[in-house]
Amino acid sequence: MLEFLIPNNMICHATEAMLFASIGCAVLAVLITQMKISSIGFTTAHGAFAGATIGMFLGVDTTIAAIISSFFLACILGPLSEKSRMSIDTTLGVLFGSMMAIAIFFYAWMQQLGIGSGAASLLFGSVISLYREEIYGLLAIMVIVILFVAVFYKEISTMIFNRKIAEIAGIQTKPMIYAMLFMIALMVALTLPIVGGLLLYVWLVTPATIACQFCGTLKQMMIVSPVIAAIISLCGTFISFTYNLPIAPFSAMLFTVVFAASVLIPSKRQITNTNERVEMKV
Amino acid sequence: MNDPIIQLDDVTTIHEGSTHPTIQNISLKINRGEFVIVGGPNGAGKTTLLETIAGRLPIISGTVLVCGFDVVHHGPQIRKKLGYVIQNFDFDPYTPFTVEEVLLMGRYGLLGFCKRPGSDDFTAVEQSLTQMGIISLRKSHIGRLSGGQQQKVLIAHNLAKKPDVLLLDEPFSNLDLTTREHVCDVLCRIADAGVTIVMVSHAFDALPARGVRAVVMKSGKIVLNKVIPPEQVQDTVRHISNDTNA
Ligand SMILES: Nc1ncnc2c1ncn2[C@@H]1O[C@H](COP(=O)(O)OP(=O)(O)O)[C@@H](O)[C@H]1O
Ligand SMILES: [Mg+2]
Repeated sequence: MLEFLIPNNMICHATEAMLFASIGCAVLAVLITQMKISSIGFTTAHGAFAGATIGMFLGVDTTIAAIISSFFLACILGPLSEKSRMSIDTTLGVLFGSMMAIAIFFYAWMQQLGIGSGAASLLFGSVISLYREEIYGLLAIMVIVILFVAVFYKEISTMIFNRKIAEIAGIQTKPMIYAMLFMIALMVALTLPIVGGLLLYVWLVTPATIACQFCGTLKQMMIVSPVIAAIISLCGTFISFTYNLPIAPFSAMLFTVVFAASVLIPSKRQITNTNERVEMKV
Repeated sequence: MNDPIIQLDDVTTIHEGSTHPTIQNISLKINRGEFVIVGGPNGAGKTTLLETIAGRLPIISGTVLVCGFDVVHHGPQIRKKLGYVIQNFDFDPYTPFTVEEVLLMGRYGLLGFCKRPGSDDFTAVEQSLTQMGIISLRKSHIGRLSGGQQQKVLIAHNLAKKPDVLLLDEPFSNLDLTTREHVCDVLCRIADAGVTIVMVSHAFDALPARGVRAVVMKSGKIVLNKVIPPEQVQDTVRHISNDTNA
């Protein structure tokens, strides 16, 4: 799609994939962090990872296996996420651990058996060996995520404000939660081959936490988060190609550096905060 | 004026995961435009009564009708006509919403799928802000207001919906006396305009200057249900509250 800009085919595909994945993930990141369901996102991400390793072991398409396993997890997590009690956090901790165990078990076993030569790419990601279909898939899920947020902005914002108040206001919160879980599942499964199971979570949380430092309203976050993620991922990709560095891990480190900088630089949020405090005392 | 807008017939509800019913065999009729004050000691089941009317709890026996609809089968219809100021809210200081946005959320349930708020909605928001005296806070972030200001915003959020029935759970808990009197005044005017108000309250220093129905609960049962004319409200309600809190 971006061939007219980037003549090198491999760099072009890598750039497209990183761009679509980071924008889609960054929009979901705002939902995940603001709804305070990061442990659910975390568990789904590792569920996809586990599914992909099983898929590779069985010799089936890893992306399809990842989609199936993360959908399966979304089905389990749906009922759990409806109740927002503390005990759920523990349940998610256990689920997360199990997913990791499954993934590592199959990974280690494949190493022993000498099969699954591409297993390392599941751990750390690889933008080099992408199929066209995977890039179109990423574009599609990115568009779906953006449309979902645009169409259901009323419902989403009220649920972020307070789940109970949203229900009383007459918003159907259950279908919204399930839709969100399934989108996270799909996004995670399609992003997995690019950035890998271990780093996926950086894309699903960090952009929103950076945006949070500068933005006072949800609308601003929904715009700033994907823009920041796209810029960081593109920079990461180009620098990595130029200096021959591993793309996803380097981009993940860039995210962390920007996050650290955003915390250290006195932000708008902190300034308005102190201003309002002063006003209120007067 | 005498058709009941809220009607509970022999209702028993239970909290999820609980072994025994929280409120038992309760019957209660509330007419359109009534101002109901629900009192009783902690744990008496006052919040549970409101949750039951709002259709938020499983009903194990009996029927609950609100605005002529059964709460079990017609939740969505009822939610359009019902405001409910909840008791415990705890907003993150960084909740990314302004007071105005929160009020607009009160209108969202009335709007259809994909519809954006229109001039009606903005007018309703404006009116509620003025009514509650918080128009100067409209651009402030809700998370950074004081507890009392947040309480007013939540009441305004429900008023913006222009409900037929307004439930309030201890709305005075964060308010100082002057504000309590102001809010009580606003609620009276709303009730006079035909909105039915059911308010759980402990603070009896601010009382409506109109006739009320006093309902007193104890251990999941209604122990008193009495219409009190305006001139007796001050004395009677204080008397009842002294009795039940003792
Ligand atoms: N979520 C819950 N699960 C189980 N029991 C509950 C729950 N909420 C309240 N209860 C029980 O219901 C009773 C009534 O509670 P509530 O209606 O909140 O009382 P009030 O509002 O009058 O102080 C209490 O004894 C409490 O133990
Ligand atoms: Mg209570």
